[in-house]
Formats: sequence, C-alpha cells, structure tokens
Amino acid sequence: MPKFTLNDREIEAKQGQTIIQAAADHGMEIPHYCYHPDLPIDGNCRMCLVEVEKMPKLTPACTTVVNEGMVVRSENDRVKEAVRGVLEFLLINHPVDCPVCDQAGECRLQDYYMVYGLHTSEIPLEMKVRKRKVIDLGPMVVLDQERCVLCSRCIRFFDNVTETGEMQFFGRGDHVAIGTFEDRPLDNPYSGNVVDICPVGALTSRDFRFKCRVWFLHATDSVCGGCSTGCTVRIDHRDGNIFRLLPRRNVEVNRSWLCDEGRLSFHELAGAERVVRPSAKGRDGMHAPVNWEDALRSIDSRLREIRGASGDKSVVGFASPSATNEALFLFKRYLGAARFDFRLDSEDKNATEPEDKILRHVDKHPNSTGAVKLGLKGDDLGGIEDVTKAARLGQIRAGVVIYFKPLVRRQSDVQAEARLAELIESLEYSVVFAAHRAEWQAAASVVLPVAVWSEEDGTFTNYQGRVQLVGKAMRPPGDALPLWEVLAMLIHARGDESPWMSAEDVFKTMAENEPPFRGITWDQTRLPGVLAG
Amino acid sequence: MNKILLANVDKPDQASIAKYRERGGYKSLEKALGMQPAALIEEVKASGLRGRGGAGFPTGMKWSFVPRNTGKPTFLLCNADESEPGTFKDRLLMERDPHMMIEGMAIASYALDCHLSYIYIRGEYEFVANKVQRALDEAYQAGILGPSVSGKDYALDIFLHLGQGAYICGEETSLIESLEGNRGYPRIKPPFPASHGFLASPTVVNNVETLCALPWIIQNGASAYAAIGTEKSKGTKLFSVSGHVNKPGVYEVDMGYPLLDFINNEAGGIAKGRKLKAVIPGGSSVPVMTAAECEGVLLDYESLAKAGTMLGSGGMIVLDETTSMPETLAVIADFYAHESCGQCTPCREGTGWAAKILKNILSGKGKKSDPDLLLKIADRMEGKTICPLADADVMPIRSFVTKFRGEFEELCTD
Repeated sequence: MPKFTLNDREIEAKQGQTIIQAAADHGMEIPHYCYHPDLPIDGNCRMCLVEVEKMPKLTPACTTVVNEGMVVRSENDRVKEAVRGVLEFLLINHPVDCPVCDQAGECRLQDYYMVYGLHTSEIPLEMKVRKRKVIDLGPMVVLDQERCVLCSRCIRFFDNVTETGEMQFFGRGDHVAIGTFEDRPLDNPYSGNVVDICPVGALTSRDFRFKCRVWFLHATDSVCGGCSTGCTVRIDHRDGNIFRLLPRRNVEVNRSWLCDEGRLSFHELAGAERVVRPSAKGRDGMHAPVNWEDALRSIDSRLREIRGASGDKSVVGFASPSATNEALFLFKRYLGAARFDFRLDSEDKNATEPEDKILRHVDKHPNSTGAVKLGLKGDDLGGIEDVTKAARLGQIRAGVVIYFKPLVRRQSDVQAEARLAELIESLEYSVVFAAHRAEWQAAASVVLPVAVWSEEDGTFTNYQGRVQLVGKAMRPPGDALPLWEVLAMLIHARGDESPWMSAEDVFKTMAENEPPFRGITWDQTRLPGVLAG
Repeated sequence: MNKILLANVDKPDQASIAKYRERGGYKSLEKALGMQPAALIEEVKASGLRGRGGAGFPTGMKWSFVPRNTGKPTFLLCNADESEPGTFKDRLLMERDPHMMIEGMAIASYALDCHLSYIYIRGEYEFVANKVQRALDEAYQAGILGPSVSGKDYALDIFLHLGQGAYICGEETSLIESLEGNRGYPRIKPPFPASHGFLASPTVVNNVETLCALPWIIQNGASAYAAIGTEKSKGTKLFSVSGHVNKPGVYEVDMGYPLLDFINNEAGGIAKGRKLKAVIPGGSSVPVMTAAECEGVLLDYESLAKAGTMLGSGGMIVLDETTSMPETLAVIADFYAHESCGQCTPCREGTGWAAKILKNILSGKGKKSDPDLLLKIADRMEGKTICPLADADVMPIRSFVTKFRGEFEELCTD
C-alpha cells in the first residue's frame, strides 16, 4: 500500500490507484469532469491537473498512479491557475444559459466557476462557436451540443457499460460535438444514465426537463422497487410528488447505474386510482367505507370463527414479494399456523434470473428473496393456482391477500391479476391489503388501504440476499397506512402484544427471531446494505 | 557536403527497383540479414542516428526499449504523415527513391523481429502513395518482401495505409489509433508504444527520413555516419526550405552547417535582394528566430536549442522584411485550430480562441489587451495536454508576440 502526501496530508492509497481515486477515498475531491469512478479513465478534460514533486509539468490526477513517497499538491497557486485556465477555456464557447438550463443547481460548470473562476468573460458573444441545440435522442435524453464540455462520459458509458456504442464525437478542434449517427435515437434500456453522468446541461432528461428546479427538491435514500436487483436510488420529491429517481452509487449492486424502466417506475404509482379508505362488502354485495377500528374488529372475529370451525389450515396468507421484510414478518406472525404462499408466477425462481448482462432481473418484485427467506413459500402449495384449487375444494375458506401493482410492467401481469381475481372469487372470506384499486377487489370481503413503496420505511432483500433500506419519501394518501402498521394493529386487535412503533422496531424483532436476519442491525441496511444468511 | 539521402533524387527514373539495384540497392538489407538483430541495434545506436520526424530521439535507443518475447508480435510503423507546415522532405524521398525507404524498413523490421509493418502516409499524398505502392509491388515480385526476404529465412509484409487528412495522425499514438480504425486521438502515456502500441503490442514508429538513413549506415558502418555532423547531432539532415528565398526546395546538409550559410548558399539567398527578417527553422511549430538571432547558429539539435528554438522536422520557413508577422502568425494559428483533434480542453478551446483573436487583430478589431491575452492563452495551453499539439501552437504564438510585439500593438488600437 503506497503512502503519499496530498496537500501536506499523508494518505495511504490502494495498490495501483490513481491520485484522484486515493484522494476521493479520503474525502478529498480533486475537480474533474471526465473522470468517473465507474468508467474507463480518459484524461481529456485536464481539470484535475495537480503538481507532483519532481515532475516538471502538471499532471492529471486521474491518470497518474500513486507511487510510494509521492508529494502531490492540488491546491497551490500554480495548480489553481491551471484549473482556472481550463475552466475559462470550457466557458468561452459555452452559451451560459443557466436561467433556462435544467442542470442549473447541480452543474459542475457552475460549481467550479464559484470556486475557481469568478472571471469576466473575455470573449464577445458573436465570437462563440455555435452548435446544435435541442436534439431529440430518443425516449430519455435531449442533447444540447453547445453546453457540452466534451468529457466523453456518455460515449464511454455506451462503449463500455451497455456496449452499444451509440454516441461518438463528430468534427474536430473547437467544433467537436457529441451525438449519435444521423441523430438516431438512444433506444437501449439504460440510456437515461448518461443524463446522470453528464456533468453539465448537455444531456438532460426528457422526463424531468422543466418540471422543477432541482433546489426545490427533497431527496430520500431508497431502493428501486422495480425488480429483484434492488438498485440503490434516491427519490427526489416535492409536496408529495416524486419528480425523479436517481441511482445512488453502490459498488455491490448497481455501481452508478439504473435501468430506464426502474428510473421511470415511479410513474406507475400515479397511474391508477389509490385505495384511500377501508371498505367492506355489505349484504347487498356492494363495498361501503368502514372505519379502521370496525374493519380490524370484524376481520379478527371472522378469522377467529373460521379457524375455530375449520382449523388454522383453512386460512391462507397470500403475501406479496413487493412488500417489505417488516410487513412480511408481521404478516407471518399475525397468521401464525395458517398456510402461506406469495407466488403469482415463478417469482422465487425468477428473482435470480438475469434479464440482461447489466442490471435487470426477470422478477419484477423487489423482495421475493425476502419472502422466501421468511418462509412464505408454502411447503404444501405450489403457487396461487394451488391455493385457488384448495379454495374451490373448500379446504381453504379464508384468505388474507397482499396486493401491490408491479412498478415495472410485463405482459404476464395480466395473467397474474386474473389468477388473483380467481382466488378472491373462490374464497369464502377474503381480506385484501391494497394500495391501488383493481376491479377484482369488488369481490373481496374487506379491502384495506396501504402505503406504496415510496410512502413507508422498511427493507427489501434483493436477489443476492442483500438487505437494503427503503426510505419513506412522503405520507400515504387518505387513511392508508404502511402495511406493517396495519398488521401491527391486527395483532393488537387479536389481543396479542404489539409493541412496534416504527419499521425499525419491527426489524429488530425480526432480526431476533428470523435466522436469516439474525444479528443484522437497521443501520447495516444502509449503503451498501448487508447480506442476509 | 555528404549526400546520403538525396544522392539520386535528381537523376531521372530512380524510383524503379531495377535502377535501385543498379546502384547497389538492397545490398544493405542482405548484409543486415547476415547479422544478429541485437548487433544491428548496436550498430544503429553507434551511428548516433536520431529521429528525423521532429523530436530527435536516438533511434537505436528507441528500438532497444522494445520488449522481447512478449508473446505478441512487434510492429514497425513508418510515419509518412508529413503534415507540419513547411515540411516536404519525406515526400521527395518517397516520390523519387521509394526503395531506399523500403530497404530501411526491412532492415529495421529485421532488427526488431517484426514481420508485419505499415507505412502510414497522409491522405493528401495519394499521388506519392501510388508510387510507394508500385515500389512495394516490385519488391514483392523481386522476392525482397514476402515469406522469404531476399531468399532468407525471414518473412516480412509491408502494407501501405492512407490517412484521411488529419495533422494529428502524425503524432505517433494518434497514428496508431487511426491505423487501428479509431478516431485519431493521441493516447495517454504511459504505457508507451514500445510496449503497448499498435493492437496493444510492442511498436516502433519511425519517420521516413530516419528509415532512409539505415541502408547507408549498414553499408558504410556506424562510424562513417557518426563521423559526419557534430558531437551530438550525427549524420546529415534534410531541410525543406520555403518562403522568401531564391531557391526553395529540399537540401541535405551535414549536421552543424551554419544556418545563414544555408540560406545564402543552398537556398540561394533572400529573394528580390531584400533583407532577412525572421526564420522558422524546423516547421511551423517551433519558435521563430529574428534575423539577429540567426547569427552564428548552426543547423543541429543542440545549437538550435541553445538559440531557443528547435531543429524539428527541418521544415524551414524564411521570412523577409516585407512580411507581416501578425498575418503570418494568424495563418499558423489557424492551422493548429483547424487541426486540434479536440480531445483535451486547453488545446481544443485555446487554439480556436487564439486564432479568432488574431483574425480580429488583422481585421482592425484588435484590442490593446489582445497581445497579453494571446500570451495568457499560450500559458494556459502549454504543457497541459495529452500530446504536444497545443505546445506546437504555443511556441509560435509566444515567440511571434514577444519578439515582434510592436507589430501586434500597432494593429491593436481598439
């Protein structure tokens, strides 16, 4: 492990690390545009020039490997003058249209200008090189060539991560511009990532553009609910509305990336009517609103009655692989000796089945692995069709069913919903926890409104068995509550001890009682998450 | 004065293999094939031959950096992308005496254990390339190239590759990128081409003129070559002289020949009886010298370096007293702005900006602050990029503006 000095501070680098990487590991940022920890080094922007003792010229921190005893300075006058020079060069042909640029507020040109620049422009407007603007690059990305600093991050992303190579430089000298051949659309399923890695306003998000100034947004750390990969994300929201999902770097899961489906998955949440009040089917067969207390009391008495008459095995708990570990744990505790399953399809198998070579998995639920680890895959049942069969035969009379609309849709969802409808039809008594309305819910005995993914704290267990924290960004609408909370109330209504005041409390009890989660603490589920047993 | 490279260019029809053989051509190759490659490298080292493309790096030493037994092939690339303004020496060699270059390539390839070699020639030299290709075809037909070079147990193929019109592709790592089919962007060094060059394999890139010197060196011995020239600059050097002289053209002189003698004798003196104003001795990228600075300067690497400039490629541009220095610099700056590949920020933006300022100055819109702004831009470009193209713009900008500041100030009145 080579030790070196950076601005009079001694730092130990990892073998083969460059100066910029070693500095970042120790919380020191050397200014840069082209360097990105998850892309090959390119060394073109020259913003990270540093002074290394015994080297006559300034050298880029991103390309220079640390050697034992190296003495590096990144903050002296010589380096600052060089950085100021590079920044001024980047700005001479830049349109400086910050007032109408979506990147404003999170733009590296703005940030570094405040630190290093603060110069007056020495180039008159008519001397600037003009390039093309507002180029439509497919469903995710809009390109403005004039704002580009030509760092090649987007080009390297498509060359090395997706290996689709859509983008390239065109022209040379100060007329160089990025683009796709004949403006062909970026139609690979990861194209949105280039908007994130673009350090300036050249590539902006078609979805997010002009929706909100970024400084009005609040950020909540979470995990994508779109599939079993469990990419670590940040939810950017304001006034109870999600504006965008951005990947958070997690080297163990998604590095710096997020697929386009996951990125846009939050739109599904607003795509259907929400269940906002508990409702129960009356004698006339129609649903009417009830209050929580009455709903809980009636559920408890009906389930008690059926269990008493036909035994615990006449009740099925049909869980959802989109519910949090905490909700599933309390679901299991509430239903105790009942029969369990959660498979609308082959989620248990699909969870580890890759959909491509980069991130996505076939299973479009975020917590199938958690459901399996908590023992919700029925020993005597082979998925929902078996459950329905048993219900038709009268072996199962009552069902408690969790339903979450998938955030990433697939053709098979239609069949899955049809199977769910059949199950509810076949049950004598059914309780459905649902966040979104669906037609088949009319057949359920009771429908209870629950929070969706962005409205509750909890944890998901991804395909690797990695337990990661899901964050609450906003309150659920109407009377809806987080599922764990509803289950805690049901346990209380039954007369059992229900001491949990938060998802974290439930997690603690789960970690004490469920062997796969034993010993894991809530804090460990933060970045990069922790592997369950 | 020794004639090593230009001994035959003035005679008619020397480009054919028959004529080349008539005057002893390909004898050096046969001699080389009878030697051990290591001994050949030592011979070239002892000759003191230095790279003639501009940097002047000792050729034998460059060869000795190539790692052996890497399990990868070694490549020799002949840099025929002659693009530096004022430089037109390689063209003459390839047009008039292409077999000398082919023989030099074969000797170098054998010394380097290279079996596949390329000539990367600039796209604008298509008519030259046709002649080189004809010579290559002849060499194949004569059994000099191919599976058994000159009948010996050594195989060598040489291919010709035409560039597409980018100055930057004369820089060796961009040349390699371009030859690989990529955009001609210089590579970050290290790794150096000696170990990771063409197709990530050991690679040597040598200039046409360098390779052309090899047959003579092998035939006459390293010491004969080293006896010519100065202590550190050995042999002869081609100078392509243009500008305000009576006899522009390509001349071969011994290293260490006085610069003013060269202008007055070989180049026939300043045209129209005018006075000398300035000389750009080694291609447009080297610092300009005033007439006074030319006094006593010799044409060799060390003497020119001592005078604050460079031998470069030997593309000498002579300027007489009627020359407008701002206008000359504007032409040079425009060239580098046009040829900057655009990879590194300082060069991409700096070359373009400097060219625009000079254009403004010439059109009467120059500001009083412009000379200093040009110098500031030069400082901010210098030494901050992957390849030396930015520096190639910096050197003329700085030398022109400092040495002829009055002319710039006269135009900058705004």
